[in-house]
Amino acid sequence: MADSNQDEQISELKNKFQQRVISRREFIRMLTALGISVSAGGIFMDMASATEKSGNSEAQSGYTIIFDPAKCTGCMACAIACAEKYMQEIAPEQARHTINLEFSRIRPMRFQFVDFVNVCQYCELIKWAEGTEQHPCEAVCPTGALHRVKKGEGRGGYTGMGYMTVDRDMCLGIDTCGRCLEVCEDQFGSGISFDPIEGKAQVCTRCGGDPECVKACPEEALQFIPVQVNGRYYANNPDHAAELLYKKMFNKERAL
Amino acid sequence: MSAVYGFTGKIARIDLSAGSVSIIEPQEEVYRKYLGGWALGMYFLFKEGLAEPDKDPLGPENMLQLLVGPVTGIAPNPRTAIVTKSPYGFNCITLCGGQGGANLKFAGWDGIQIVGKADKPVYIAVIDDHIEIRDATEFWGMGTEEAEMAMRKKVLAPIETSGSTLTESDLTKKWAKLRPPKNQGIGGKRLASTWVIGPAGENKVWFANMVTEGARAHGRYGSGAVAGAKNLKGIVVRGTKGQKFADKKKFLQIMGNIQKREGTSHFWRTYGTAGASVHEANIVGGYPIRNWQWESWADPRTVKTLSGPFVDQMSFVRKQACPGCALHCLYPARISSYNEMMDETITDMPDWEAMGMVGGNIGYLEAEGTDPGDPYGGTFEDMTENAAKTQYTTWFSDNTGMDFIEGGALLGLLMELRQRDLIEPADLDGIDLKWGDLNSVKAVLEKTVAGEGIGAVLARGTYETARYLSRKKENDEIMYYSMTGKRYAQPAHGARSNHDRNALDYVTVVRPCEHTGGGSKAFMKNPIDYDGAVNGQNFNAAVNSMVYCLFASGFWGDEGNVELVKAVTGWNDFDKKDFLKVGERAYALSRLFNLRSQNIKEPRKEWDSPDMFPARWFKEPLPTGPYKGKTAFNGDTAKLFDECLPQYWAQRGWSRDKGIPEEEKLKELGIAGIAGNIAAKLRS
Repeated sequence: MADSNQDEQISELKNKFQQRVISRREFIRMLTALGISVSAGGIFMDMASATEKSGNSEAQSGYTIIFDPAKCTGCMACAIACAEKYMQEIAPEQARHTINLEFSRIRPMRFQFVDFVNVCQYCELIKWAEGTEQHPCEAVCPTGALHRVKKGEGRGGYTGMGYMTVDRDMCLGIDTCGRCLEVCEDQFGSGISFDPIEGKAQVCTRCGGDPECVKACPEEALQFIPVQVNGRYYANNPDHAAELLYKKMFNKERAL
Repeated sequence: MSAVYGFTGKIARIDLSAGSVSIIEPQEEVYRKYLGGWALGMYFLFKEGLAEPDKDPLGPENMLQLLVGPVTGIAPNPRTAIVTKSPYGFNCITLCGGQGGANLKFAGWDGIQIVGKADKPVYIAVIDDHIEIRDATEFWGMGTEEAEMAMRKKVLAPIETSGSTLTESDLTKKWAKLRPPKNQGIGGKRLASTWVIGPAGENKVWFANMVTEGARAHGRYGSGAVAGAKNLKGIVVRGTKGQKFADKKKFLQIMGNIQKREGTSHFWRTYGTAGASVHEANIVGGYPIRNWQWESWADPRTVKTLSGPFVDQMSFVRKQACPGCALHCLYPARISSYNEMMDETITDMPDWEAMGMVGGNIGYLEAEGTDPGDPYGGTFEDMTENAAKTQYTTWFSDNTGMDFIEGGALLGLLMELRQRDLIEPADLDGIDLKWGDLNSVKAVLEKTVAGEGIGAVLARGTYETARYLSRKKENDEIMYYSMTGKRYAQPAHGARSNHDRNALDYVTVVRPCEHTGGGSKAFMKNPIDYDGAVNGQNFNAAVNSMVYCLFASGFWGDEGNVELVKAVTGWNDFDKKDFLKVGERAYALSRLFNLRSQNIKEPRKEWDSPDMFPARWFKEPLPTGPYKGKTAFNGDTAKLFDECLPQYWAQRGWSRDKGIPEEEKLKELGIAGIAGNIAAKLRS
């Protein structure tokens, strides 16, 4: 279908996008309006050049990641994109030839006929109810390794949306500590993972406001949207969440 | 093995009798020659001496192999292959999708080989390098769905769990009060993958299979019975090491292109193979209807019951993909029915083979009192109930761990014998098995799974059942209705219209009666394109050795196979010829294996002969459909077996008289060392 006229329009859009005249979101929306599918496929090609991308012109603050369980196929594209990005950062030497999903902070988990995408939900706790405003993992961290970066601060390329991060030099690791994992799984969810090389804690930083996983999803099942309410709002372990999903989708109860 | 990317260079060999684990490290040359999956599995079967006829498939000497290939892992489309000796006596090469293959690669293994027999039920837990043989008594007897979920809970990697380090002082008062009992809150993640057998495998039903993710099965040739005979309930794998690529960037690029192409596939992304029913099968005359008495309904309304759109609207809930794939061809479904037994059953699809073998083949679709040649007399309500019956039978097969292709053929056989009054209900322990009768279907399958009464015979599959009944009834006519090729059930692809499968296709495939041989189109040409057919077969065998998905391989484009292998392994001189050679090796080894393991002296009489195939193909013209009146090969079995088959063998470099790969051929393929002796024995 792509006739020459359309090609011109596309290249013009590309230029605008590269010159930051329009945002990525607008770019995609306009492409879609031209009848070009940008959803399924092509994600891995983007990923290959992900590390070469510079800056995030339109990172969003105060947004969170949600997933649509009816659209998600459990294809792992999100986890692959995340693992690829963060392994490069944490273990660049190993990452030259390896992709390891353990570096991913977002993990689809396959239960019976349901896929649950597990990612930190950024608990915003209510002080009078919980006794603290800190994130539970942050509150129990004995060294302060797991912390929140204040809005406007933080590393380059990140907007400083108040994202969570782990100072790997200070983290004691799963072998001696693991408190963050424990408090999270006990009562809140299961947002903490550990890298397989040093066993240090990992938590989703929302890529500082422009998450790779959302861009990688070929089914548009992941969305990055503004959310104000939180707390224990989403608190469920993957297995409990999957059981709820199973009940919702198939109207039947089952231990998963 | 020196560091080769793609592979891990290690295969775990687990001896269940001794309870020991050892490690095999094949040379790089072995990987280059066999890649993985099918070809590599056959190589080890020969090394193990399992081609010898005295090695019992259900004895401790048999070896169950779960193998992956070079690209299995991050994707695209990882699968696993099980290669072993089938309870039927020939080779068992059976593949399956899901996330398991990736997990096995991440754990650092190119495969697992299991020999021996445990003295009590066990399962194997693989956590990276650590392999344990654990007690499975608590899972024994469970259906596959339940067993899988229960077993996965038990396997966590060290980085998923920790000893309790939280103290009250770490917590707020509220949190301290809300703590679950010690360690109860931990372990909600499920990152392991599981293959399990159901009760059918435990009871060594010949066509039992190994199932993963509830509905994905290493479907055919009886891998579940082999596992059951070893007292092996399942294998759980959790890997945390990731996958290595020689050229990661290129790999990701190819993968992206494949995904992009996949994204354009309306067929796969809408209903998966459920779309094949109306879209293809009923039109090309390849729909198994009532044990292949018909292959196309006279009234196209009948087939709508099992069409993609209909089952989708009635039951599909969502879609599921293997890692890295945009085809998401598995559709979990929820049955809605007025029948309480079926209602609310959660299952998958039915996929095309299920629609054929436990749909049309056992008479679920026609309205009461009509046959497939009549106008459809049913209502919308009938359609929903009939589709539900197929889905329920699929679920029952999956959950008990049984192949519904062989099972559907078996039911079709018994139903036709009943239709023709060749057997009575008394022959089936009082079950009156009539076309489309779900309750009696279930009763028969339950008996088969349990091996009770007549079930002990039925558990040996379609061909053996027909033989038993023809002896019992002293009636040779019964064998006519056994729709089996080389003693194994014909899958849901017809051989008569010459527009679905060609009879020579079924005769030449080395996995008996497989429907994914790869040579179909070339075989259906006139005159037959032998070169194309052989290449097609080699290609599919190579894809199955690479352990890639046959569906997704359709989206490889030009870069496809070879470039993928190169990007992953770094073998820059690996070319298309090398790739096809892998398939050729797989074919030659499998052929020799089948002949030797069944002690066949005269293949043209005992194996590649007309009486090993359904006479119906050649004698009975299609009664309905666009290809009405057609028979397979126009009924000319002499041409098929005496002219075309030898020509096909010659094309392969196999002898014209017996179809044994010539010495020259074996040398050219580099397999004279492991298979030369057997070939020489067979030639003489």
